[in-house]
Amino acid sequence: MKHLTPANAKAKALDEARAEGRDEDGREQDMRDEDGRDEDVLAMNALVGCTTSFDPGWEIDAFGGVANLCQPMEADLYGCADPCWWPAQVADTLNTYPDWTDKAPAADQDWRHLQSVFPKLKG
Amino acid sequence: MKSLSLLAPALVAVAAPALAHDYLIAPTRPDRLVIVDAEAMAVDKVITIPKAGPLPSLPVITPDGKRIFIIIAKNEAISEIDIETGEEVNRIELSSEDERVKALFGMDLSPDGTTLAVYESPVKLYKNHYEVEPTRIALYDAATGELKTRTEAPRQITVLAYSADGSKLYGMGREMHVFDGATGEKVGEMPIQSWGQGEYVQPDVLDAWSQFEVADMVTTPFYTFRSDGDPNDPEAYRTGMLTLDLETGEMVMKDAEATDIFYFSTVADADRTRLYGVYNQLASFDLASAQPIKRVDLPHSYYTVNVSSDGKTLYIGGTLGDIGVYDAETLERKGQIDMPDGYSMSLASIRLFTRDD
Repeated sequence: MKHLTPANAKAKALDEARAEGRDEDGREQDMRDEDGRDEDVLAMNALVGCTTSFDPGWEIDAFGGVANLCQPMEADLYGCADPCWWPAQVADTLNTYPDWTDKAPAADQDWRHLQSVFPKLKG
Repeated sequence: MKSLSLLAPALVAVAAPALAHDYLIAPTRPDRLVIVDAEAMAVDKVITIPKAGPLPSLPVITPDGKRIFIIIAKNEAISEIDIETGEEVNRIELSSEDERVKALFGMDLSPDGTTLAVYESPVKLYKNHYEVEPTRIALYDAATGELKTRTEAPRQITVLAYSADGSKLYGMGREMHVFDGATGEKVGEMPIQSWGQGEYVQPDVLDAWSQFEVADMVTTPFYTFRSDGDPNDPEAYRTGMLTLDLETGEMVMKDAEATDIFYFSTVADADRTRLYGVYNQLASFDLASAQPIKRVDLPHSYYTVNVSSDGKTLYIGGTLGDIGVYDAETLERKGQIDMPDGYSMSLASIRLFTRDD
């Protein structure tokens, strides 16, 4: 953490809370485990709620080629959007952009209606 | 296999023996439940579910064949649909104001039709942060939609399936978890990730589709590597087949072939002699030995495969807006069933049921 500089209010609050041994809601917390080491942040480790998976799939397949990618790519487009499988590559219709495909219920016919999505600015 | 008698008029029943007829349930974007006459390769009925988008995903049919439970609304609700009227008769809302609950791939109805089991992933929504809660199995009263009980369950479970007698509930995850069918409490597990230790590396399993109703057998492909294999040897990369017998509880994992292609899902036929796998190719395997029999290329990727009750015809679906129909022996394409307006099935499970006409 010493190499990171907080860039907004939320990050500053986290930094300060950590220094005080409190979480961002002000609750006291022990950041160390039984052996006195800093506890790791646990990933969600679930196949839902946006995966932590970064395995190949969009650019190359597991064999380093493209023959085992979904064909055409529209066949897999909603299969990746619906479970929030690759939220960096495909709009997430599970949580953040549920209306993304409203004008494109047939992926192979309607893909031209799909638009890029951008996070809403906050604060 | 669940047998239905939804539309059997008494007159026909008296005059002649009713003929069992296969139907498919195919959910499509954004809110449709398509009932397909499988043998006629034609759409029988289209049911629109209110506020179901972007995709109704996993359907489960009641033993009496009259209703369907289906996960809808960003995987945060379950709709109960009367097949004959097409009306929604009940809706179970999983999420609340301060808790977002998703049901992704795991849901099944007890064989007696009384209990709906759902694998839930909850997140508490606080003003300034989210807090991930333990995943859990929730058991709902199928008649009322009321929650009966809820129990913590391991993470990373996808498919849920009741044993044929309803006493157990299986959850496929890193291991095959076994839960009590009545309480949802975990009572055991069978090894998946530790299978083949010494001979193979940890197998990789990802099964997101429920298509075990014809054979009463959960099946999935898995992928592994020989422990002493040469990374440059294509034969060292192995595809295996996992089968879980829902009647006996026996689970088997077997090395099937070198991994030169992938299968997204597999299905067993009713007499349990064949397995079929699908993705960019459709392939048949001998179930007892897990050895490959035949393989054909497909016109596009499909996620799901189901099989007719007589074992002669395969229906491959998911991804786009058509169900491909194939001869189970020759793997020749017999035709296709186009979803209305070509709407995509995406990740939805395509279920098969039989009713007497």
